[in-house]
Amino acid sequence: MSVTTAPPAPASEAPAPRRRGSRRRRVHWIAYALALPILAYESIFVLYPIVQGVQLSFTDAKLGAQQTTSVGLDNYDRLLSDPNFIKNVTTTLTYALGVVVVAVGCGLLTALLVNRKMRGRGLVRGLLMAPWAFPEIATVLIFIWVLNPTFGVVRLLTPWQDSGDGWLTSNPLAMFSIVLIATWKTFPFYSIVLLASLQNVPEQLQEAAKVDGATALQRFWHVTLPAIRPDLVLLALLAFIFAFRQFTLIWLTTGGGPGRDTETLVVAIYNTAFRFFDRSYGATLGVGSLIITLVVTLGFLAVQRRLDGRR
Amino acid sequence: MTAAVGMRRPATAGTSARWARTALRTLLIVVVCLVVVFPIYWMAVAAVQPTASTLRYPPSLVPTSFDLSGFRDVFANLPILRWLSNSAVLAVVTTVITVVLSVLGGYVLSALYWPGKALFGLLLLVTQMMPEAVVIIPVFQLYNDLHLVQSLIALAFLHAAFVLPVGVWILRSAMDGVPAEVREAALIDGCGHVSVLRRIVLPLTVPAVIAVGIVAFFASWGEYLFAVTMISDSDKYPASVGLATLIGQLDTPVQQLLAGGLVYALPPVVLFVLVQRHIVAGLTAGAVKG
Repeated sequence: MSVTTAPPAPASEAPAPRRRGSRRRRVHWIAYALALPILAYESIFVLYPIVQGVQLSFTDAKLGAQQTTSVGLDNYDRLLSDPNFIKNVTTTLTYALGVVVVAVGCGLLTALLVNRKMRGRGLVRGLLMAPWAFPEIATVLIFIWVLNPTFGVVRLLTPWQDSGDGWLTSNPLAMFSIVLIATWKTFPFYSIVLLASLQNVPEQLQEAAKVDGATALQRFWHVTLPAIRPDLVLLALLAFIFAFRQFTLIWLTTGGGPGRDTETLVVAIYNTAFRFFDRSYGATLGVGSLIITLVVTLGFLAVQRRLDGRR
Repeated sequence: MTAAVGMRRPATAGTSARWARTALRTLLIVVVCLVVVFPIYWMAVAAVQPTASTLRYPPSLVPTSFDLSGFRDVFANLPILRWLSNSAVLAVVTTVITVVLSVLGGYVLSALYWPGKALFGLLLLVTQMMPEAVVIIPVFQLYNDLHLVQSLIALAFLHAAFVLPVGVWILRSAMDGVPAEVREAALIDGCGHVSVLRRIVLPLTVPAVIAVGIVAFFASWGEYLFAVTMISDSDKYPASVGLATLIGQLDTPVQQLLAGGLVYALPPVVLFVLVQRHIVAGLTAGAVKG
């Protein structure tokens, strides 16, 4: 669910041994019984559809058509020579990297600001969670109003702009706008996660660096950043995935437009399957997205494993 | 909203420099808070003014005239109560499924040793990363074949499938905090794993369980892609889909649209304010512990 920015905690690769004795560990057979409902559940709703989707990509299925025939790799031939697909991929990367840099960057800056004993910190922290609790559709309603080309309050910030230039309907402003909207929705949560990470940085190190005459910037660069780097990298990968999955905020604000300028892969899948009724080609785009997802997930696991090794 | 910064040490030399830095930091924090709060404030401003005073440029940053008829009209002209109750059904069913299964998943990952555990974790991770759009076409086909489209309960099952991994991580991380000795003592006393989970582990991880419930509720309450694909019967619209249909229509006055948005956003925000104190730690714990 794209709404859920909750922290995904890392999967444990090796079962963490509780006892370090040389005695062989007894297998808890009951685990299989307890894990079975989840396995069955995820198989029905996620794994089986993925397999079906891959199968569908080798056919010529259209929505509504009863008969489908196998067409081998035709859809993939089409995919690789489809200029729109290439554009979808670059659009997706632009958007996702934009969100990672801007939202995680703002999150980090905010966390650094708030990482200090002060009065009212609880209140600030609560306020920061507000956009997280705010549903996406409500966020969309807010921002199509804020960015309205005629009456939008955003025009106060850019008085030189003509009212004709729509924030959501002109290039490259539309891309900028959706990154902005996603940033508003997600950066506060990222700042809360990074705040928790910052609080694990040993204070003595900071003090020692201070005594040695390090400037604030040097202390950040040489003490704070190395300490939080693993969490920061994991969070960036997650932010990338969340952006990659984002449908609602884009679909309901720009609809992928102007033209196809903000049509990310997930928007393209939806358009292909449910507006142009081309199920099989939509499924092929889905396989493309699946591969990208798996690559990023592997990256996530690799970082995590290195992290576990260090602990 | 102003966050005054307390001094940690008594004033010494360089006090004014430190004071300046504190002031700057406070100012920046206030700016961040304004950025976060302003859009919501702006929505409320438009919702409590007559549309005529809203539709003008330049806008006034404070409401110039109050008129709450937008809220009345939303309930009178739109089936918003129906939409909200559909959303509630959806979110409650999603929450129940997610919490029950996440408790099991958290326990098997945290407390038990079994070959295949790493693979199980990997499956959950991949599920968590999976864009909904990747499965939307085959899932729609499946639901269509089984005549499950238009069913809110069937939609809730789908929602739960996509929040479940997050729920499992949150609970595993919380259950890792329950000392193994406590569990083992109970096992030696003759408890089975199920009653250890029920009587010992669960009571110690209540905040995390609530956090999972909140996450699941929010996810389902706000979800749009699956809902708009599966539900086309306007009687069954959850509020997310219902409100989204108004976006393209020009005949809904701004005041009503934003009032509707506020009413829709209210339940999660209230829920969050009520439990925030207890769950923020639970929510963030998973992200920073390996």
